[in-house]
Formats: sequence, C-alpha cells, structure tokens
Amino acid sequence: MEQPQPKNYLVEAILITIFCCQPFGIVGIVFSSQVNSKYAVGDYEGALQASKEAKKWTKWGFITGLVAGILFLLIYGAIFFFAYQSGEFNDF
Amino acid sequence: MERFSFLHTKVVSLMTFKHVAIFLLLLGIVLLYLNINPNEVDFLPKCPLYFTTGLYCPGCGSQRATHQLLNLNFLGVVQQNLLYVLGFVIFTYHIVILGLNRFLNKTYYNYIYHPKTPIALLLVIIAFWIFRNIPTYPFNLLAPQ
Repeated sequence: MEQPQPKNYLVEAILITIFCCQPFGIVGIVFSSQVNSKYAVGDYEGALQASKEAKKWTKWGFITGLVAGILFLLIYGAIFFFAYQSGEFNDF
Repeated sequence: MERFSFLHTKVVSLMTFKHVAIFLLLLGIVLLYLNINPNEVDFLPKCPLYFTTGLYCPGCGSQRATHQLLNLNFLGVVQQNLLYVLGFVIFTYHIVILGLNRFLNKTYYNYIYHPKTPIALLLVIIAFWIFRNIPTYPFNLLAPQ
C-alpha cells in the first residue's frame, strides 16, 4: 500500500530562516531534505522520523523568535518607563 | 453524539479563541511594520549575528523589507533582502497548490516535496549568505541598507 509522503516543513523552515533564527531554520531545511530523499527511496519510517525532527526544529525556531521579540519589547518598554519615571522627558 | 456536544462546543470555543489571538497578533504586527520604519527606531529586535560579529545573516533586512512591502515599495523590498522575495514566492506557491488540491480536488504535484528542492534552496541560502557579506560591488547590493 502506498503511504502518503510525510509533511516536510520546508516552507516553515525557510520562513524561520528569513525571519528569525537561521540555525534552527537551516537544520529544519536539512531534515526536510531528508524527508523528501528518504521517501523517494522508499524509506517511509526514516522519512517519518526526519519529518518529526524538522517539525521540532521549526517549532523551536518559532518559539525562540517569538520569545526574543517579546523580551526585546519588554526590555525597551521597561527602559522607557524608568526613563519617564526619572523625569527624562520632562523637558518636552 | 449528543453526549459530546458539550465537549465539541468547548473545542470550538478554544479554536476560535486561538484564531482570534493569532488574528490580533498578525494585525498588531502589520500595523507596527506599516507605520514604523525599523531604520528609524531602536526598540525592534536586532539580528544577534550582526550585533556580535558585524556579519549579515540570510535574514538581515527582513524587518525593513516587511516595512517596505506593507508600504508597497517593491524596489525597497529587493534592496533590503532579495531572499525575502524568494521566501514570499515559495510561501505563496505552497499555499496556492495546497488550496487548489484541497478545495478544488486537484492533484497538482507540489515541488516542495521534490527530493532536490530542499538541497537547492539550502545552497541558494548559503550562497546568498556568503555573497551579501562581500563588501565590494556588485555583491554589496545584496546587503541590507
């Protein structure tokens, strides 16, 4: 019976590479290439395994980017807040 | 079936909450990058690679490119990050093929699943990464501004 090809997360990995976290994205692309090549030679189990790895790396890339973005906004928000508190902007 | 209707409602409300949250997040991001030029402010995340080593990574300039894209300045997108264009094209292609196959019951082959596609894209990304760090013409056209 012909098994469907597991999802390879290539598009997700490329978006991760462009938008935040190259290390995660590039590892994701490598695993998504394994999904395609292993499925092409009939290694369904191996392709499934590579698919899980690709999903893991893109997921962590996404979480890292999200957390980094939020942390950045929080830190700058805090700096701005304390500067405001200490009268940094009273001149305006 | 009747027994699970409560569970079903709960799942549905959870799904809609998630969708509303994602929609609001996307709307916030769009409004932020529409109105704010990342070149003019310093509260947006910087690329850690550029910050520490001064080298551009393949994604450097994509926040500025997003700003240019939302303001419909397509030349600006190309100037900031050429790979952004490629990523956008691939993303659109993938969504269109998926949509056609699922909703119109077509069976178009999706080249995202071709064995050579990921390797080719990886080589393109690495070549782009190297080229945009060469500080001479014409390679410096690839660097973000």
